[in-house]
Amino acid sequence: MMIEYVLVLSAYLLSIGIYGLITSRNMVRALMCLELILNAVNINFVTFSDLFDSRQLKGDVFSIFVIAIAAAEAAIGLAIVSSIHRNRKSTRINQSNLLNK
Amino acid sequence: MDLPGPIHDFLLVFLGLGLIVGGLGVVLLTNPIFSAFSLGLVLVCTSLFHIPSNSHFVAAAQLLIYVGAINVLLVFAVMFINGSEYYKDFHLFWTVGEGVTSLVCTSIFVSLITTILDTSWYGILWTTRSNQIIEQDLINNGQQIGIHLSTDFFLPFELISIILLVSLIGAIAMARQY
Repeated sequence: MMIEYVLVLSAYLLSIGIYGLITSRNMVRALMCLELILNAVNINFVTFSDLFDSRQLKGDVFSIFVIAIAAAEAAIGLAIVSSIHRNRKSTRINQSNLLNK
Repeated sequence: MDLPGPIHDFLLVFLGLGLIVGGLGVVLLTNPIFSAFSLGLVLVCTSLFHIPSNSHFVAAAQLLIYVGAINVLLVFAVMFINGSEYYKDFHLFWTVGEGVTSLVCTSIFVSLITTILDTSWYGILWTTRSNQIIEQDLINNGQQIGIHLSTDFFLPFELISIILLVSLIGAIAMARQY
């Protein structure tokens, strides 16, 4: 009963993260929704690693890697957002056409 | 972790409610600072979710890195970027694109739920448990992760460290004032 509950919660986080990533007009909110998707992946990794691989725990190692990649991605993304904001005075996604001219 | 049954179930339901409310808050709240704080609620609930599945090291790492670093960085970015422009595009009615996206995401969610409920997880569990060794090892979770990181995941670990170094230098070089 435990595993279905956790997997349904993880699917909920994944789908609401995809929804927010597509519909958000603000770049920082899109980064937050990306963190939601990575969290859903982490929950799945840890749950399956505890249930099916409880001697080796390789899913935990992969979730550590996912956390490190998420930290790098947040740093790079926020640097890009602050640089765009300095040039354009706006962080709307549909108004950022810096590569256009 | 072995908790008595009603406390365990109550904890799981409470954390699930926190996840659902926080996930809705990240997407639906109009002010980005509130959605950053509700993202913090989601991250704390996820970290506490890892404790009943015996992964204490991952729970501690999640709490330190996600809540302590990434969420604080997001809150600082929201405070640093001027907040006056967020209220202008607030509208109550859904556009067509948002309706289509919510329909697609709901269908993804429903199909995932039917797949999860159709799969017999305990059959898979019995077939994998039968060819594992029964003996109980004495090393704990963090020691096992450390052994994996220093033996057979050694090359990805070094690659992750190089990626972190390069991305932090790149972030500083991009956000610098010229």
